[in-house]
Amino acid sequence: MKSTQGAPDATGIGLRLPHLAEVVATRPQTGFLEIHPENFLANPHAAELLVELSHHYSISVHTVGISVGSAWGIDRRHLERLRTLVDRINPIFVSGHLAWSTYGSDYLNDLLPLPFNEEALDVATRHVREVQDFLGRPYLIENPASYVGLRSSTMTETEFLCELVNRTQCMLLCDVSNVYVSAHNMGFDAREYLNSLPADAIAELHLGGYTPEEDPANPGGELLIDTHAAAIADPAWALFAYAIRHFGQKPTLIEWDNNIPAFAALVAEAASADDIVSIAMEAHCAAAG
Amino acid sequence: MLRLAEVQSLVRVGIITGEISRLAPLLLGGRYPERRFAIHERNYETSLVAALVTKFPATVWLTGSRFVTEAAHSFVREYPPQAPCIAEYGRTFPRFLSSCPGADRTPYLHDFAELEWHVGRVAIAVDEAAISLHELSSVSADALLDAGFTLQSGFCYVRTSWPVDELMKLYLKDSAPDHFSIDALDVWLELRGARGEFDINRLDAAQYAFRKSISDGRSLGAAAESALLVDAGFDPGQALAALVAAGLVTALQVRRNKS
Repeated sequence: MKSTQGAPDATGIGLRLPHLAEVVATRPQTGFLEIHPENFLANPHAAELLVELSHHYSISVHTVGISVGSAWGIDRRHLERLRTLVDRINPIFVSGHLAWSTYGSDYLNDLLPLPFNEEALDVATRHVREVQDFLGRPYLIENPASYVGLRSSTMTETEFLCELVNRTQCMLLCDVSNVYVSAHNMGFDAREYLNSLPADAIAELHLGGYTPEEDPANPGGELLIDTHAAAIADPAWALFAYAIRHFGQKPTLIEWDNNIPAFAALVAEAASADDIVSIAMEAHCAAAG
Repeated sequence: MLRLAEVQSLVRVGIITGEISRLAPLLLGGRYPERRFAIHERNYETSLVAALVTKFPATVWLTGSRFVTEAAHSFVREYPPQAPCIAEYGRTFPRFLSSCPGADRTPYLHDFAELEWHVGRVAIAVDEAAISLHELSSVSADALLDAGFTLQSGFCYVRTSWPVDELMKLYLKDSAPDHFSIDALDVWLELRGARGEFDINRLDAAQYAFRKSISDGRSLGAAAESALLVDAGFDPGQALAALVAAGLVTALQVRRNKS
């Protein structure tokens, strides 16, 4: 796989359909734009506008429907449609999730947990290779936000990801907020998790908001839900600063999918990320000597 | 230990039906992990119900939010999406909606929701370059009869048994008269849309038969035959010229003459 090219320095913003016309009309400054291709593949008008934007912005394509963890295999029709879009906009990244969402012909519209064991690793390896071979470019795999795990796991999530990288030469999209959410929900140390990831394989970082609610599994406790419906919380910002100090500067994306605020609010949140990167990079460079 | 496919089968059943008795012992996460699994069930249901309700705002206007929302909750459990592009989900929702308890009070509900589905589809189309009358005139009359035509993708032909286009126009004008009566009436509609705009036009039965046949990929000769069966005075040449002149035809496929 060739390496990803032209990675931007400034923080990018997840472009959702409610902001599309505004972004086309006003061309706001941002590091890059990231889209869910599933929102554009069935919408020729939106795809046309996206192609126009691709002449002015670096675009990252973040899939939600590729389902590399599905025992039933990859939906080839969806993959073909994805390639058509990728060929039109030549994105800087194409990414997806360490999860599954299809069973037979049913698409379950959620990112569902995998057991971290050899069989699932074989399945994910086969499918990541298939996606990369078909698209002719590296695929970035994002760590999930977890609420439940499976007892049949025989390795940790980071061991699974490291081995997936070794076997497929895929890259990683580290969702820092997901690390925070999963660490809180599943009871592991978020910084140790980040320390366990191969820094060289990390091509992009994500930051999104979560929503706390009462934990039904632990009465009186709190569960964090990866809703992308709120501002990035302070603990996630702190973990992001740690990630930059640890990994160095990586293209970073702010994402909202629900209760989406005005585009200017996303720009402001991206600027906050840039400020944190500046400060954290001083520490990173100092530590690197 | 269960195979991955078996685990995923149990997860699928849990998400769609809520039945997790076999899945629960396999889960980890807190003292009662099976209760957390409800988050995935909720994600599936709420996202798809919201997608359907958002896709049928005029139907919500007509019948009320509660009716459509309750139907959507049932629909997503009976008919999971078959592809990841959720914008394409709900093609059969109008039929499902019209079979729900209480739908018989609105006999035109299916036709109205179906019209809304098609409007949503054509409105996001993109116009392509159209062929000119000059290109048409370069084809011999015999070859033309056997030719097929491709129309702009933002076209749709809908026949309904109720004048639901009038209702749709009321919705689009955001007006609700004190009294509106609707009687069964055969209506032939042409929907045309592109880049966020759309029009709904009535056609006469012969024009509808002609354009629908062309749209379905039938030859000019076959389309003319369909229209002439409805109206012996129909002029296929004029009808074709009107289609082309309006920029509705994007390609002409001349089939080779049989020897």
